[in-house]
Amino acid sequence: MTTGGRGTGEGGRVRRSLQVLAALWRLNVAEELQYRANFFASVLGTLFGIGTALLTLALFFRHTTRLGGWDYWEVVVLLGVFNALTGLIEAVLRPGIGELASDVRSGHLDLVLSRPVDAQAFVSFRRLDIWRLTDVALGLGLAAYALYRLGHVPSALAIATFIVAFASAAVVVYAIWVVLMSLAFWLVAVENLAVLFDALYEGARYPVSAYPGALRFLFVYLVPIAWTTTIPASVITGRVGPGIGLAAVAVAVAAFALARLLWKLALKRYTGASG
Amino acid sequence: MRGAGGWIRTYGALIRNAWLVDLQYRASIGLWMLWGVTEPAIALGIWWAIAGAGPVGGYARGDFARYFFALMLVNQLTIAWDSWYLDRWIREGDLNFRLARPLNPIHEAIADNVAYKARSGVVIVAVWLLVAAVWPAVRMPFDPARWALTILAVLLAGLMRFFISFATGLLAFWTTRATAIMELHAGVSMFLAGRIAPLALLPPAVAGVAGVFWFRYMLAFPVDLLTGAVHGGAAVQRGFAGQIVWVAVWFGAYRLAWSRGIRRYGAVGG
Repeated sequence: MTTGGRGTGEGGRVRRSLQVLAALWRLNVAEELQYRANFFASVLGTLFGIGTALLTLALFFRHTTRLGGWDYWEVVVLLGVFNALTGLIEAVLRPGIGELASDVRSGHLDLVLSRPVDAQAFVSFRRLDIWRLTDVALGLGLAAYALYRLGHVPSALAIATFIVAFASAAVVVYAIWVVLMSLAFWLVAVENLAVLFDALYEGARYPVSAYPGALRFLFVYLVPIAWTTTIPASVITGRVGPGIGLAAVAVAVAAFALARLLWKLALKRYTGASG
Repeated sequence: MRGAGGWIRTYGALIRNAWLVDLQYRASIGLWMLWGVTEPAIALGIWWAIAGAGPVGGYARGDFARYFFALMLVNQLTIAWDSWYLDRWIREGDLNFRLARPLNPIHEAIADNVAYKARSGVVIVAVWLLVAAVWPAVRMPFDPARWALTILAVLLAGLMRFFISFATGLLAFWTTRATAIMELHAGVSMFLAGRIAPLALLPPAVAGVAGVFWFRYMLAFPVDLLTGAVHGGAAVQRGFAGQIVWVAVWFGAYRLAWSRGIRRYGAVGG
């Protein structure tokens, strides 16, 4: 499809998508700033969540000194990464692509498709709940504190690799959301598809090495949960070398490509059904 | 007033209705169930790894497997979502037409729970039997007397969790954060009700707190009864006594919140 006006072709389309999204986010931020009480509720909720997670770990470590070969503060680093990713999910993905099922059911998706922007990008990034971004800061803060308790100072290369691995983790999480939510095109009656993600993501709370073999295989190769928390935490604690960064990028690219492919297939089915 | 026959007819109609509504949403219910068993499955995975080096506090790997399978079943049979429904009914006004009926809305909620739990309980038992066919660790010893006692304890725990959820949901008459209070309760019950570990593995002081309040009786007691961790007449009697007391307390809380809340709700609407 060619576009009129300023940009033409794919380049103009991308630029316009970005402009539209930036405008939407400005609107969201202005809207959210009216409800500052939500900020405190959000922070309290996060602190409570981190508190219960730390108590759970303390309970496990009452009866063991290592979990899948990780000691207490190493698992806390992982928990920090888990919370930071949760922040991204709650700020962007759940309010955006998480609403896809109800958009498909209500036909609201038609309105999105009629817009001259990339539908996947628009559906995915249309909302921004800024208060939940504090979870990212709290999570990374927790990870930093745990590193301090470990007495481990990561090298500059390890930090750079961590940034790559964390960005890859965000892409993998995004791809999982796209794949799961695309099921809405086939299972129209199911409104709580996001629950599928929550169930899977529970597995990311602990290092994959703590799980029995079959589950570990599932998390590393089939549903790449291992790449969301275990790998970034392994990088920053120095359990694995910086070479893993390349693998993380490869996994992220593959996951994104698969998700994009499924999205296209699903959309073809949707336009086929209504057109 | 309705006679016994009238109540049976009323409940028959309500349960049939709830069953048919659930049938439309069976895929959604399947997902909620999946989500419900994930947490115990992950906890089992972790304890399984920890117990690889030898029994933990008297729990060997097989004991953990039986504990968490029993937990999945008992949790599914006693879980109550009513505070979320009530919060929506009160905030969005769906409560109004329910108040216009000549029947307290709590009966509809009870019927919903019966239909939902009958369906999901059968699924969990079926899955458990399938898993037990290939994995001996989760097989329960054949003990009909214990199972009968467990059914009674599950009924009491279900009643208790229903009244907890219903009474907390009624707080929506006063606050917009009723469901947040329920989440808080869920967070505390992770530890005190035995969702993350058998109470025997908690620090003794924490486990003591769980036994003083309702947490032990809403989940851990029926689970321990089923797996055989609670045995001996005195311990069983104490458990049932705790259940009966806390069912009564939460029933009282529901009555209080309902009568006060309705008065307030009527005053606002009238």
